[in-house]
Amino acid sequence: MNTARIYRSEAWYDLVSVWRTPGFVLPALAFPTVFYLFFGVLFNSGAASGYMLVTYGCFGIMGPAMFNFAINIASDRGHGWLTLKRLSPMPVAAYLLAKFGTALVFSLIIILLLFSIAVLFAGVQLHSTQWLLLAMVLLIGTVPFALIGLILGLTLSEKAAPGVVNLIYLPMALLSGLWLPIHLFPALMQHASWIWPSYHLSQLGLKVIGMDQGYALWLHLLCLLVSSLILAMLAVWSFKRMTTASA
Amino acid sequence: MTLPTLQVTGLVKRYGANTVLAGVDISVAAGEVLCILGPNGAGKTTLISAILGLVKADGGEISLFNQLQSGCQRSVALRQQLGVMLQIGSLSANLTVVEQCDLFASYYASGYSAAELVRLAGLEQHCTQRFGRLSGGQKQRLLFALALAGKPKLVFLDEPTLGMDVEARRGLWQQVHQLKQQGVAIVLTTHYLEEAEQLADRITVLSQGSIVASGSPAELKALTQYKVISCSSSLTDAALLALPGMLQLKRDNDRICLHSSQAEQSVKALLLADNSVSQLEVRPVALEQAFLQLTQTNGPQQEHAA
Repeated sequence: MNTARIYRSEAWYDLVSVWRTPGFVLPALAFPTVFYLFFGVLFNSGAASGYMLVTYGCFGIMGPAMFNFAINIASDRGHGWLTLKRLSPMPVAAYLLAKFGTALVFSLIIILLLFSIAVLFAGVQLHSTQWLLLAMVLLIGTVPFALIGLILGLTLSEKAAPGVVNLIYLPMALLSGLWLPIHLFPALMQHASWIWPSYHLSQLGLKVIGMDQGYALWLHLLCLLVSSLILAMLAVWSFKRMTTASA
Repeated sequence: MTLPTLQVTGLVKRYGANTVLAGVDISVAAGEVLCILGPNGAGKTTLISAILGLVKADGGEISLFNQLQSGCQRSVALRQQLGVMLQIGSLSANLTVVEQCDLFASYYASGYSAAELVRLAGLEQHCTQRFGRLSGGQKQRLLFALALAGKPKLVFLDEPTLGMDVEARRGLWQQVHQLKQQGVAIVLTTHYLEEAEQLADRITVLSQGSIVASGSPAELKALTQYKVISCSSSLTDAALLALPGMLQLKRDNDRICLHSSQAEQSVKALLLADNSVSQLEVRPVALEQAFLQLTQTNGPQQEHAA
C-alpha cells in the first residue's frame, strides 16, 4: 500500500470538494477582507490599520478552520461517507490531516489577501521579518480553532453544526478583542478574555508589530499550548464516542 | 474442507431493554452468496454493523478470515480484504464520479484503478458528473463499484438494489454472479425476494432478531408445507374451504386459487366433490409467500380463522 498516496489524494480531494462549495468559499474569504477594508482602511489609517491587520487576520483564519472541520465532518458522519471511509483501509489520520490542510490553505489565502490590502491601501509598513513572523503566527494559530471545529463536527448533527459554530465564533471573536481593541474593554472583560485562545493568538500577532498589551510572550504561548492540548484531548474523546450513520 | 470466510455464532445485541439480535449464527464461505432476508426492523443492518465493528456486540463470537474479532477494532490488513456497500452511503456531493473512484482506489494496496472502477459502475458516460447530480440508481452503482475497489475477498451488500430500475438491478445481479465465480464470499441483505431467489446459495430469514429459517432457496421452499392449488370449479367458496387441508381461497375471475396444507388430500377430495374441475394446477409456494409465512408472527391458519 502506498500510504503517501492516500494522504495526498485525501488532502487534494478534500480541498477540491471544499473549493467547489461557493457557500463556504465566498464568506470565508469575503468576511475578513471586507471588514478589514471597511474598518481598517476606510475609517482608519496608520497604526490602527496595522493593529486591525492582526485582529482581522485572527478573525479570518478562525472561520474556515472551525467551519471546514465542524460542518464537513458532521455532514460526512451524517451521510455515511465517514463510515465507508472507516471501513476502508484509509488511516483516520489521513482524513483529519486533509481537513487540516484545507484549513491551512484558506488561512494562507486570507493572510495573503489581508497583507496585500494592508500594503496597497492602508500603507502598513513592516520589516520583512515582521511580515513573515506574523504570517507564521496566524498559520500556526489555525490549530486550536481546527480542533474546536473537529470537536463540534464529531459531536453535532449536520443541521446543528453551522449554527453552533457561529454561536461560538462570533462571540469569541468579539470577546477576545478582534473587532474592538481589547484595551477599550472594561477591566473585568479584559480579564475574562484570557480564556479564549483567540485572545492569546491576537496578542502574539500584536507582539510582532509591538502593539500588544505588554504581557510576557511565554504566558500567551503557554495559554495557547494548554488550550490546544485540552482541545486535542477533547477531540480524541469525542472521536471515540462518535456516532456515525451505520444505516 | 474450506473454512468459512465469515463465521458468526450466538451474536447478541441489545439497545437498553430491547434485544435487537438474540443469538444469531451465520457463516459464509468463499464463492458463496448468503442472503439475509427479513422485514424492516428484523436486525439485518444491526447484524452487518456488528460484524463490521460499527456497533459493539453484547455477546457471541465473530470470526473473519479465521481471526476472532473483539470489540470494534478491525485491522487494516482485514479492511484491505473487505468490501462494503451500506444503505446509507452518500459520497461527497462535490466530487465527480472519477474523482471518487480515484480517491477510493488510493486506499487499497492491490485494487482496481479509477478507470476500472468507473467501468465497473457502468458510469463511463457520467465520469465527470458530480455525485450530487447522479440519479439514485447511478449512485447505487457507484457505491457498489467502490465496495469492490480493493478486490475484496468478502463483500457486504446492504440492500444493494434499492432505488435501481429493473435493468440496473439485473446488471448488478450479473456482477454478483461474477464475484461469486471469482471466489468472493458475499453477504447480501434484501427486501426483494426475487433477488434472494436469483442470487443466494443460502438464505437466512431473520425476524425480530432471531433466525427463523435457513437453507437453500429450494430447502426453504420445501420447509413451507403449503402448496398452491389453482383451478376452475363450480363449487362455492364455503364448499371449497370445507375440503380437507384447505386454508385460504382467492378468486381471480373464473380461476380459483387455494392454499392447502395437504395438497394430495385436497385434490382428491376436490375431484370427488366436483367432476367439472378444469385447469387444475398444483405448485409449491413462491419464496415470497414462504418468506411471509416464516416471518409472520401469526401463522396463516390463524389468519384464516380470523
